[in-house]
Amino acid sequence: MYNLLRKDLKLGVHPMFLIMPLLTGALMLVPAWIYFLVLLYFCWITIPNMFGGFKAQNDLMFTAMMPVSKKDMVKARVSVLVLLELLHIGIAMLYGLITTRLYPNLDYYFFKPSPGFWGLCFVMLAIFNLIFIPMYYKTAYKFGSAATVSITAAMLFALAAQWVGIQNTKMADIFNVTVGDHMALHSSILIAGIAIFIAFAWMAYRMAVTRFLKVEIQ
Amino acid sequence: MLALDIRNLNKKYPNFELKNVSFQLEKGYIMGFIGANGAGKTTTIKSMLNLIQIDSGEVRILGKSMAEHETELKQEIGFAFGGVDFYTRSKIKTLTGVIKKFYKNWDDAAYSNYLRRFKLDENKKIAELSAGMKVKYNLAIALSHGAKLLILDEPTSGLDPVARDDLLDIFQSLVLDGEVSILFSTHITSDLEKCADFITFIDNGQIVNSSDKEHFRETYRLLNGKESDLHQVKDKLISYKVNSFGFTGLIHAGDFEPALDIRAAIPSLEEIMIYFAKKEEAHV
Repeated sequence: MYNLLRKDLKLGVHPMFLIMPLLTGALMLVPAWIYFLVLLYFCWITIPNMFGGFKAQNDLMFTAMMPVSKKDMVKARVSVLVLLELLHIGIAMLYGLITTRLYPNLDYYFFKPSPGFWGLCFVMLAIFNLIFIPMYYKTAYKFGSAATVSITAAMLFALAAQWVGIQNTKMADIFNVTVGDHMALHSSILIAGIAIFIAFAWMAYRMAVTRFLKVEIQ
Repeated sequence: MLALDIRNLNKKYPNFELKNVSFQLEKGYIMGFIGANGAGKTTTIKSMLNLIQIDSGEVRILGKSMAEHETELKQEIGFAFGGVDFYTRSKIKTLTGVIKKFYKNWDDAAYSNYLRRFKLDENKKIAELSAGMKVKYNLAIALSHGAKLLILDEPTSGLDPVARDDLLDIFQSLVLDGEVSILFSTHITSDLEKCADFITFIDNGQIVNSSDKEHFRETYRLLNGKESDLHQVKDKLISYKVNSFGFTGLIHAGDFEPALDIRAAIPSLEEIMIYFAKKEEAHV
């Protein structure tokens, strides 16, 4: 399992994708932007490029010839994905802290960086994982439809959450104005988001293993 | 001891089927796995390695069931799939650095020796290697992790005669001490005339014959006769060709009556393959 992770990070994942969190995360510095987009760049750019690389390099066949189990192959790939997502979200959070200090008096129309907002981001990535990972492991190399469906679902969640955040004045107030007064609620949303992220990644992994065991590696 | 024991392998596709594929390879020998393009060589090899799911049958490698001990057995198997490339823009040393961590018996000294023996430069990228060098790189990897069974799918296809001869010499030297066994698939039968101990012939998803090389050839006779004599053997021929000089056809040695006034010779592997392929055409 550790060897597989090492293989992905040394051969399969271009170092550029490890730097990407720093670059896309910097978009958090755009004042009062739609910050869901910052994490969606991971889905739009890193996912198709990275999985396109695996496909082009015949990674599936290469890995299948190593003395590893199919279960570990999935576990390692899901771990790489989750690791990159955590890097993206973690670094975006740090930029978010800078943003709130850089512009303390902004009026936010879209969600302000707050613990509750990051909780929603975890849910968005959880939805992406739950759809992308099992769909991808129907073949373990075709990523087009899996990426399209999962990214669309993640975007729809972001759109719906943001729409409610604008339309519902109470929610807009809690998320954008009186964050400090509702820290308990924010923390619970963040914790719930993380819990959903972990649960969905685990479910995605289990479904992917079941599917991958039936895959014919050609 | 058997290095490889394949029993009743079945796998059905919409347009192709492996039917009761069975053959055995003794430890310390080279087996050539021959068949025309599309006969089922690669499908058989992939079934053996659990890369594709078989419908039924059993694969035992070095005495252990592949289905139950896949990870453990892959420590002892070396692969080379001709024409399939991985991470071609990476340097040899980068790729080896990753691969060697997977093998518990990796031997750095042996690896360095093989690199020198095969004249491989660690700083070259995979894409910069010739087809023959790529096979040699795969061999260096396989032998450095102590592989006891080498499964090579078309390793000599696409190589020039010099590179092929060089590889065949290497194969022969590898089995000398009796520890390493080699199964290699090819449609270039002259390679097998040079180095194989055993031949397994697959045609249209079925094993036609699997035996030692000489016995394999002696199982058949290539007949040469006048067209007017054809009717005497026509029904027993596997297939035949007719031209202005008469006919040539392949027959099972047991079906041939020496009393007939027809010239009979032991066919080459290539001739056996060709006449079996003609049989398929005749049935289409």
